[in-house]
Amino acid sequence: MTAVAAPTRRRRQRRHISPVVWLFLLVPAAIEVGLVFWPALNSFYLSLTRWNGLGAPEQVGLDNFRELFSDGVFREALGNNVIWAVGFGGLSVAGGLALAVALNKPRRGVGVYRSAIYLPMVFSLAVTGLFWRVQYQPDGTVNTLLGAVGLESLERQWLADPKTALYAVLVAAVWRQVGYVMVLYLAGLKGTDPSLDDASAVDGASAWQRFWYVTWPQLRGVNTVVFAVTVIDSLRTFDIVWAMTQGGPYHSSELLSTYMFQQGFTFLNLGYASAVAVVIFALALLFIITYLVRTLKEEVS
Amino acid sequence: MVHSELSRRGFLAGLGGLGAAALLGGCATSGSDSGSGSSATLTLQSSLSDPSPKAALTKVVEGYTKTKVTLNTIAIETFRAQLPTYLNSATPPDVLTWYAGSVARDYASKGFLLDVSDMWTGSGACAGFSPALKELSTGADGKQIFVPTSYYWWGVFYRKSAFQEWGVQPATTWDEFINLCKALKAKGVAPLTMGTGSTPWVASGWFDYLDLRVNGAQFHRDLLAGKHSFDSPEVKAVMEHYRELLPYIDPKGRSYSWQDAVTPLASKKAGMYLIGAFVTQSVPKDVVDDIDFFRVPVIDPSVPLAEEAPTDGFFASAKSKNVEGAKELLAYLASAPAQELYIKESASSNLPTSPQVSTTGFSPLVQKGIELLNESAAITQFFNRDSSDELQSTADTALTKFLDSPGDVDSILASWQSSAQKVLTS
Repeated sequence: MTAVAAPTRRRRQRRHISPVVWLFLLVPAAIEVGLVFWPALNSFYLSLTRWNGLGAPEQVGLDNFRELFSDGVFREALGNNVIWAVGFGGLSVAGGLALAVALNKPRRGVGVYRSAIYLPMVFSLAVTGLFWRVQYQPDGTVNTLLGAVGLESLERQWLADPKTALYAVLVAAVWRQVGYVMVLYLAGLKGTDPSLDDASAVDGASAWQRFWYVTWPQLRGVNTVVFAVTVIDSLRTFDIVWAMTQGGPYHSSELLSTYMFQQGFTFLNLGYASAVAVVIFALALLFIITYLVRTLKEEVS
Repeated sequence: MVHSELSRRGFLAGLGGLGAAALLGGCATSGSDSGSGSSATLTLQSSLSDPSPKAALTKVVEGYTKTKVTLNTIAIETFRAQLPTYLNSATPPDVLTWYAGSVARDYASKGFLLDVSDMWTGSGACAGFSPALKELSTGADGKQIFVPTSYYWWGVFYRKSAFQEWGVQPATTWDEFINLCKALKAKGVAPLTMGTGSTPWVASGWFDYLDLRVNGAQFHRDLLAGKHSFDSPEVKAVMEHYRELLPYIDPKGRSYSWQDAVTPLASKKAGMYLIGAFVTQSVPKDVVDDIDFFRVPVIDPSVPLAEEAPTDGFFASAKSKNVEGAKELLAYLASAPAQELYIKESASSNLPTSPQVSTTGFSPLVQKGIELLNESAAITQFFNRDSSDELQSTADTALTKFLDSPGDVDSILASWQSSAQKVLTS
């Protein structure tokens, strides 16, 4: 009886949504608008002004953006962000996928490996940064290990050398991210059809062919998620750089986010900092929209 | 079944509502936590994050019974970066630790600081302080905005027993100093330690002193006020002297904080450290009595002696909700018993600003520090204190770059000048 009654009842409910439901929807919507969209719009407005947080903002039109593109530190930070996005994205996706494929088949002790690799993810980025800062000290683990295997010539002050600082931080960030990407791909691999893999094995496909032509196309959904997560994570990277180098030595590991923080909250150039924020926002949007449009097109065709 | 589904929806909606309420509640509490909404409690925001000074200030604050005081201690590098934000917030802390001189003046000119002129007249807590301290605590508009409670000196610190072992003597002239560095290096000791990793401002210590020794205090003050250029011939002469020191500075210091860089000095792996007298708080207890210092050597005898003697203390926020309470707390902190208690507990070799505190019982090291300052013709503060925290960051960039590539000194000074120009005109 209930089986028959339920659908009709449900249809009626769909037509008359009770005001209480609207009320409950309205509350989170108001919070979202008040705490997310309004401040975001505000920073667009601030990017067109000069403001130190006190008194009225002074309108300067596009001056902040003009100044940005002639600012050497900003250009260096932008370049570093490109290196960061490529390095962070590439290494964590390649590493995470390789680990997921390697640890996909159930065998003894595989759970231990999976947990161990995922473990760094439970630490906050600030803690990860502090941990790695200790490893990178002149007499820290990294240099000690290099010395122990006879590679003294490679020993250096990883975080104090402008040539290596950014990459040293990158390694720490990838170390943490790789476990996360691995878990995403493990979930994706669980959703693939094993009979396709078996069929192609019977047809004589090599392991590489089976991965590339059979498994990989089935991971498209996961790839979209991984791509979006990685791009967003790499553009919003802040804490680990701040904990390890604060953008130094002399801006060599500066990212857009650390530069924005320094301009906004250390120097109180809130207008200029908002202009950097707008650039970060535009970049994130550009990447995500381009990728989504491309993926949707592929799915339609 | 239908009923159960409805109730689940109701439950979920209710959960959402609860979540929203909790979120709002969270905002409300965090708002009143960070500020000082009620006039019953005062907030004292402190940058004294090293263990001994932190414990000392906690003890001093415990001794204040008039109003309840919440002491917030923030790691100093974070405090430095966030100070403008603290002062600028809608409910700022009532009283904050910081530095006298241009840096306080800079914040005062932005309208952030409370006018405490009445504390400097009549029977006010600071009325008996020296005219030099009063001048240092006065804003550009002639009003006092700062309450100084202690100061200290800078010098070249070393271990007496180590110098004895190595058979070397403190230097008084530049040539003697370079020879001393050479002698130490020959013994396999890093002559100078200097932590410029997470505390790059330490590199300004040598810059300030070399400028004081080569060009004198007046030039130095004018330079930091923007009246001279950082790529002028005078500054280039300073960098020439700095360059002579580079082979003797422990390269590992580039990864260290100033505190980390004390370790090589304490363990006799490094010979000397140009640093403030606060260094004694980071030295192991059994080594403190072995620590001594000498004056930064004279380069040009015709330039009058000048020393750095940074003055610490407190200011109050202009937006404090409890102005009377804040001033009473400041008066307590400036009082002789509070200063004495702080100096005794902090293990930092501070000197009192109140003339009512007797210094006769202080350690021989501190006596020597007082003598050093009495002999000098001029007193400066430190790079950031004589300019602003924003100008300090241009110095950090330029000087750490110089430490890495001294050959590029001309281009480094040129870009220092252009970024300083930007700060000074903004």
